[in-house]
Amino acid sequence: MKALAFLAAVATMDHPEDRAGVIEAAKAGDLAAFEQLMRQYERLVLVTALRLLGSLEDAQDASQEVFLKLYRNLGKVQASASISGWLYRVTANACHDLRRRRPASVPVEDAGELASGEADPQQRTAEKERRRALELSLRMLSEKERAALVLRDLEGLSTEEVARTLGSSEATVRSQISKARVKVKGFVERYFGRRV
Amino acid sequence: MNCRDWEERLALYAGGDLGAPERAAVERHLGECAGCQVFLSGVTEGLRILKEAHTEQPAEAHFAAVRARVLAQVRREQRPWWRKGWVYGLAGVAAAVLVVIALRPRPVPAPPPAPRVAVSERPPAPLPVKERVAVPGRRGALRAGLPYRRRVRPAEPVIEPAKPLVVKLVTDDPNVVIYWITDTRGDLK
Repeated sequence: MKALAFLAAVATMDHPEDRAGVIEAAKAGDLAAFEQLMRQYERLVLVTALRLLGSLEDAQDASQEVFLKLYRNLGKVQASASISGWLYRVTANACHDLRRRRPASVPVEDAGELASGEADPQQRTAEKERRRALELSLRMLSEKERAALVLRDLEGLSTEEVARTLGSSEATVRSQISKARVKVKGFVERYFGRRV
Repeated sequence: MNCRDWEERLALYAGGDLGAPERAAVERHLGECAGCQVFLSGVTEGLRILKEAHTEQPAEAHFAAVRARVLAQVRREQRPWWRKGWVYGLAGVAAAVLVVIALRPRPVPAPPPAPRVAVSERPPAPLPVKERVAVPGRRGALRAGLPYRRRVRPAEPVIEPAKPLVVKLVTDDPNVVIYWITDTRGDLK
């Protein structure tokens, strides 16, 4: 029921006109409008940051920087064709800067804790194993391979969009993605102890 | 070409990242190579597991925490300048007070009273000074074509030791008397 209410609230911003109205209100200082904007894109920002950094605490810090940058650049964002593209770019840069400032922190075991606790124990165990495989396999990739894989395979951006987000060429992104997928395949086979 | 050479293309094929010609070449190879079929299956399975794990969301509390921190910072930035600037206002008032103090006109001090001078002894007359004539040295004489005569120092005049001279200066203030002690040569003591 809560999920439906949340989706209903967010769905009002699907139309460009509605989104433009919310951005205008946020620019004028309407905090409720800005909060609505944050709710629309917080999953995109926080989850991407979590996959790129591997730590929920770091991901929250990076997300805070991203949304503050969004608030200070509402005019620029309004003029851009895609808010999502702008947010992915800023999130990738914020994660890169954070990683340079801080050494890699040890990820919390329950960093990807599920919102719902209704799953049965067996399902929860399977989900926990998959989550662990995800965290560990991403950790063994280089920063650029990880960014390419997260944006392409987990967030669903096209190769062209990934190249634009990361400031690389498409050929470079394809090379990074293919290497990352090969590494992930090898890790998953070792982790689950079987050849698929 | 062995299977190792196909790995990158198979990995791109698994994600749908190959163009039509390359896709066709991979599919032809897959029809002939069981090892590459197994490899492709492994890449596809690995991606499937990651994507399933990725659909799991962090708890709502984590999102709410980020929203709260961002909104708190935005509220701080939205505060009107006069609320943020009370410290600066105070500093400005303090600076203004200092400027007023620095520019305050100072009272002009009264000129000191001119002292009345009383001379107790008249100084003796100064000694006559002998005029010294410039005598060219050897080089100067030779340059000028003059005969050179060895320079003879004139005798030093005999100066008698100076007698002390006391000058008493009386001012308008009876409590203030200035004594100026010198000698007949004019040196202060």
